[in-house]
Amino acid sequence: MKLFDRTAPEAMAALPPLAAALPRRSAWPLALALVLLLAAALLGAAVGPAGIPLDAVVRIVVSRISGADLASGLPQQWQDIVWEIRLPRVIVAGLVGASLALAGATYQAVFRNPLADPYLIGVAAGAGLGAAIAVVAGWDFSFYQMSPLTIMTFAGALAAAGVSYLLARVGRTVPVTTLLLAGVAIGSLASSATSYLIISSGVKGLEIYSWILGGFNDSSWDSMWLLVPYLLPAAVLVLAHGRILNVMQLDEEQAQQLGVNVERVKLLLIGVATLATAAAVSVAGVIGFVGLIVPHFVRLLWGPDHRQLLPLSMVLGAAFLILADVPARTIDAPSEIPVGIVTAVCGTPFFLYLLRLRQRAVF
Amino acid sequence: MFSLIRGGAFALLLALLLALAAACGDDGDGGGASLSPTATRAATVAAQSQLTLTDGLGRSVTLTAVPQRIASLSPAATEILFAVGAGDQVAAVDMFSNYPPEATTREKLDAFQPSVEAIAGAQPDLVLVFYDPGNLVEGLTNANLTVFFLETPTSVEGVLDQIRVLGKVTGHPQEAEGLVESMQEDISAVQERLAAVEQGPRVFHEVDNQLYTVAPDSFVGNLYTILKAQNIAAGTGQAFPQLSQEAIIEADPEVIILGDAVGGESPETVKARPGWGSISAVKNDRIYVVDPDIVSRPGPRLADALETLARALYPERFP
Repeated sequence: MKLFDRTAPEAMAALPPLAAALPRRSAWPLALALVLLLAAALLGAAVGPAGIPLDAVVRIVVSRISGADLASGLPQQWQDIVWEIRLPRVIVAGLVGASLALAGATYQAVFRNPLADPYLIGVAAGAGLGAAIAVVAGWDFSFYQMSPLTIMTFAGALAAAGVSYLLARVGRTVPVTTLLLAGVAIGSLASSATSYLIISSGVKGLEIYSWILGGFNDSSWDSMWLLVPYLLPAAVLVLAHGRILNVMQLDEEQAQQLGVNVERVKLLLIGVATLATAAAVSVAGVIGFVGLIVPHFVRLLWGPDHRQLLPLSMVLGAAFLILADVPARTIDAPSEIPVGIVTAVCGTPFFLYLLRLRQRAVF
Repeated sequence: MFSLIRGGAFALLLALLLALAAACGDDGDGGGASLSPTATRAATVAAQSQLTLTDGLGRSVTLTAVPQRIASLSPAATEILFAVGAGDQVAAVDMFSNYPPEATTREKLDAFQPSVEAIAGAQPDLVLVFYDPGNLVEGLTNANLTVFFLETPTSVEGVLDQIRVLGKVTGHPQEAEGLVESMQEDISAVQERLAAVEQGPRVFHEVDNQLYTVAPDSFVGNLYTILKAQNIAAGTGQAFPQLSQEAIIEADPEVIILGDAVGGESPETVKARPGWGSISAVKNDRIYVVDPDIVSRPGPRLADALETLARALYPERFP
């Protein structure tokens, strides 16, 4: 995709001074974040409602990965729990967290709105409606291991975002405020339709509702393979635009004059972030706050440079959701607490704190 | 906003939806009305000029006459009314009231998205409600209708009590007592066959594919307690908890009961779940489908539900 005019090398040369105005980047925040992610993953694999000793967990994981026969004396039940349930759950939570935090950071940058989250343009409501339709229709088929529910949530999420985008288009540009409002409108429409389906479909309403609450209780290796094809390209493309997003924060027109094809960049980045969000939602339901708070957390600690903000948001988003899922499955064991409650309990005070901070800036 | 929908209301909704289970049931009998309805009703009317009862919301409800046009907004209450011989007094039912078949001939109302106007339009002299969305009870009271709220029972004993209450309310106390006795006999008959059982099999009752289940604190869970089964959700402190997959695998249920066949689950889909292969119920092929209409309704067919579950748990004792 042609993001720069061929005639603009001199314009590109104008970028470094802008970037240089930002605080100097260093490698240690990313190193720290990766260490935290590793620690979160180890904790997530080590604890769970089933009381499996730590050494057994390590032996099972190592023997599965290396092929060495270290787990032969352990019960098959433990091996199933660690390898088929707990490990995929940790990895899926990490991938979903990374997808949501990356999408949140991208939306906040493209919309230049600190309150933007991955569900801003109707993705969550669209996915909910897709789920409701799939459940009510009661189709019985599977397509490449994907259930109708997974397919419909994904399609619903993309449809809502796509319609919002088309509605917001004015000529060849998409003003972000219009897109935001279109997203909110489409979102409420889809939510209303979903609520109607929930209350009018008896026991099936229950299934829709528990899907919307979301969580990782049904995560498997298959779920992981549904996420990777969307997160990977999204990560590569978004991270490659860190510097351009920095410029766009200052002034879209200025970025345009510098040779950045602003509309194309916006479409591309919103597109890949939305795909990653849709995949995350189709696997784990609607999990709030991760996409909103993690980028702000990074921004507060390490500043607004997107070359650093984007990768850090991804890594810390993964760590945050893995950690949030630990109390979700252990505090009330053997019962589950919806992980959305845990993220909201952590997220709400933070969100209020941000609001206070903004108020002080205004007055 | 979906992200704001949280679990607090969920258990409640679950209980309500369970009670409204919507598939079609076609077996089981209406139970034990034995006395002549006309004679009893006349006797009761004579005996009571006025009847005051406390309903499930703690409201004091006064009936000045035996109701002759009842609107039942609960499928379980509908089943009870017909079983105690008050079917002729039922003027309208909610749309999930599909049993007995005669109930479907009555005017249809909506218990989930109830319209006060539609309910008032049926001109009932008594409205039975088990779910109070949007202050329905208050709205109906304002429309000068007599409303009796039925709490969802938490045990079989609670269901029997509710049958007695509805017997009184409709002027059929003896039939209600007869029904309760016949249900108690059925329950005792099942219990007698299990007299020698110290501790039954470990059981997991699946309400939906997100692994919500029934704990002993619910009337469905109470069936398993009566059957001496070891409910793997015991001790969770909730009526309808959601269990972790790994907790289910670790608990190793010997029997799995599927109440979510309507949602597309079957013994085959359960066996295909990753990591479930080591569960005894999966290895020994002891996964059973039950009709949620019978098992999840706090009504007169609960004794049938008990027997169905007993057959699944103890096939050797119930040939």
